[in-house]
Amino acid sequence: MNLEMKDISKSFGPVKALRDVSFRVDRGQIHGLLGENGAGKTTLMNVLAGTFPQDSGQIVINGKVIQGMTPRKSGGLKIRFIHQELNLCNDLRVYQNMFLGDEFSRAGFLKTKPEIKRAQEVLDYMNTGIQAETPVSDLDTAQKQLVEIGRALLFQSELIIMDEPTTALNTREIENLFVIMRKLKTEGVSFIYISHKMPEVFEICDAYTVLRDGAFIQSGDIKEITEHRATELLIGKTFVSTNLKEGQDSHVREDTIFQTRHLGGAGFHDVSFEVHRGEIVVITGLQGSGTDELATALFGATPLKGGTILIRDRPLSLKSIKNVMKSGVGMIPRNRKERGIVPDLSIQQNNSLAYWTAKHPSPLVSRKEEHERFRRSQVKLDIKAANEYDPITSLSGGNQQKVILGKWLEIDADVYIMDNPTQGIDVGSKFAIYKLIHALSAEGKGVIVFSSEFPEIRQLADRCLVMYKGRINAILNYADLSEMEIMKYSTGAQGEEPN
Amino acid sequence: MTLFKNRNIKDVWHNITGNYSHWLSFIILLLAAVIVNPSFFSWSNLSNQFVQGAIVGICAMGMSLVISAGMIDLSVGSAVALISGLGITVLNRTQSVFLCLLFCLGAGLIVGLINGILVTKGRIAPFIVTLAAMSAWRSVINQLGQGGPFTASREMYAGLREVAAGNYLFIPNLMLFFIIITIITGILMSKTKFGTYVYAIGSNQLAARLSGISVDRVKTLIFTYAGTLYGLSAFLLASRLTSIQAASAGSAYEMDAIAAVAIGGTSMAGGRGKITGTFLGVLMLRIISTVLIMARVPPFLNGLVQGVIIIIAVLAQNRKK
Repeated sequence: MNLEMKDISKSFGPVKALRDVSFRVDRGQIHGLLGENGAGKTTLMNVLAGTFPQDSGQIVINGKVIQGMTPRKSGGLKIRFIHQELNLCNDLRVYQNMFLGDEFSRAGFLKTKPEIKRAQEVLDYMNTGIQAETPVSDLDTAQKQLVEIGRALLFQSELIIMDEPTTALNTREIENLFVIMRKLKTEGVSFIYISHKMPEVFEICDAYTVLRDGAFIQSGDIKEITEHRATELLIGKTFVSTNLKEGQDSHVREDTIFQTRHLGGAGFHDVSFEVHRGEIVVITGLQGSGTDELATALFGATPLKGGTILIRDRPLSLKSIKNVMKSGVGMIPRNRKERGIVPDLSIQQNNSLAYWTAKHPSPLVSRKEEHERFRRSQVKLDIKAANEYDPITSLSGGNQQKVILGKWLEIDADVYIMDNPTQGIDVGSKFAIYKLIHALSAEGKGVIVFSSEFPEIRQLADRCLVMYKGRINAILNYADLSEMEIMKYSTGAQGEEPN
Repeated sequence: MTLFKNRNIKDVWHNITGNYSHWLSFIILLLAAVIVNPSFFSWSNLSNQFVQGAIVGICAMGMSLVISAGMIDLSVGSAVALISGLGITVLNRTQSVFLCLLFCLGAGLIVGLINGILVTKGRIAPFIVTLAAMSAWRSVINQLGQGGPFTASREMYAGLREVAAGNYLFIPNLMLFFIIITIITGILMSKTKFGTYVYAIGSNQLAARLSGISVDRVKTLIFTYAGTLYGLSAFLLASRLTSIQAASAGSAYEMDAIAAVAIGGTSMAGGRGKITGTFLGVLMLRIISTVLIMARVPPFLNGLVQGVIIIIAVLAQNRKK
């Protein structure tokens, strides 16, 4: 498919989300759409998918101007939008999900058998190893992502839009996805690939377009630009690509502040490590290695089967989360939308929520105090908010995450557990959060970061624990960190090497 | 008040049609009432609206909390019938109105606590727990009453009746009770940690838990608070009627309470709501039925009109999204 979007503009009330943006994708091309959160990428794609109409501008497909795009029309034109949040019904089977809304039927009755057969063909073609009759609830996130893509293939889509498809995938799963994408590319399928992860964009894309603040910035062949230059373009200022750890004195002090002994629980066992004051420890591992489970268990959100946690050399009671917080542990959970934000509460209420539960002695709350607390967070974290009484959902992803961080800084904990704290946010906000984590370590706090992105590990880790099959497989010091090493230990490859 | 702060006229208008839409519908309804009955604003009529709405209104305050936390309580009517029937028995035995009141509050607290424990410790959906309670409590009071009414004895009649029928400085007692409970609940929801937690749980339970909120305890407290209010309602109902029919007392209270909460702008999914909204919602339901009577709409159609108005009110609130 040859797609051209010409001078597209779109406003939401007073906010100009898109200003005369032009964009073209050729047949069999993987086109990276780059921009920070709020740059207008998703809005542009929603216009293309017919979610809402543009205010002005044209969509031209294979030389024909398309008037009044609707979701149905875009489906008919073989455009498929795979959203960042997966849209699968967990209680239905894989094939039922793939055919949802477009079932094979005769006289109103479903024709299940041909559906299963066709779905299985697609899944096999993609080399997924997924059975079409499996309930979706039995699949892991990576497999669900593949089912979404399978759904797009089922109807021979010619243009597949992928919004941050790899946030929940590990390196191997991403590679697998790329293999499938390349295969489809040779068959003439076009892709629009939205991602914040530069290395991936540079690996898979043929062309790029950068948007910033709703405006078109630059477009071209991916070979003619560097990662560094692309990052500069999308954040709009000369981006200093320094590593925060270089040229900095280590903040790590002698005394241990947080220690685990032989922790066991669902998905992990015999996990022992310690965190010193001022130290940033990153825990990494592939999906299913037990990192997710360990993160929640360290905070008392899921039960431990055995072992002890010591904070300031005293045993930490995991009786309740509130108790853990009072003992001086704070936790920024993964998956902001599901676990972090309380969408109906205002920005400033979200900011104070943890403080109320852990530190505020009186049962009464004061909006004025809440307001002052938010003002402080806002200055400290550079949160861009028009009105702090608005719901937190009015903010961009990066700013929401900053509010969540602010909420936990409010309790002034000694140890912070951060479970994928920069998931799905733009480069600028990411960098701000890294700086903040370093500032925390400079204050002598212990920080445990769960992350699976190597550049992030590199920016943060004094030490890195690599998990494999629920155990700590290696402890790497900053000096020994490399993507290869981490990959080796997280895939368990070191054991298979011939001596 | 954040209504007029730092905002231009357009924002204020958005706020009125959005966040404060229950005020808008309330005012429209008042206008309609005045048109149908020019003497609507007489004190006797106005206070009568409060008196009529007070008993369900107090239940609606409890329901407001339950719904704001993303739950539901269907047991209101049956709980009120049970407690008021037993309350009259206690009154006749102890010969004390005060002990009767204490009993009603205590019984309400226990009834609510049972709901709360079943929901939190038993991990059963509130809909199911309170559906079962609705059926069970009604059955118990029917059995105890054996079809007959619970009636206050002749010597206690006047003392009991005085509570609901009396006035304080021209203000009917029932109206006072309703307003005081509204104020207490309003403060509870807007000025305390507890209130914030209720909304947080209704909005995103997992995020609330990970912020250190003990979700189970808050939910149990919500049901207990609501139950205690049902107990107060039951006492006032007993006082107002002095004779409780086991089979019919309090019937459909849960429906009226839910309707008032919905008209008042509380999200049925939880997370968002205002106590003033519920307060106005209760009055709106009352005004609607008064207006219908004055407009000589056949009484059987009352429910239809009420149903339509509930849908319109909630549709108007959804529009703001």
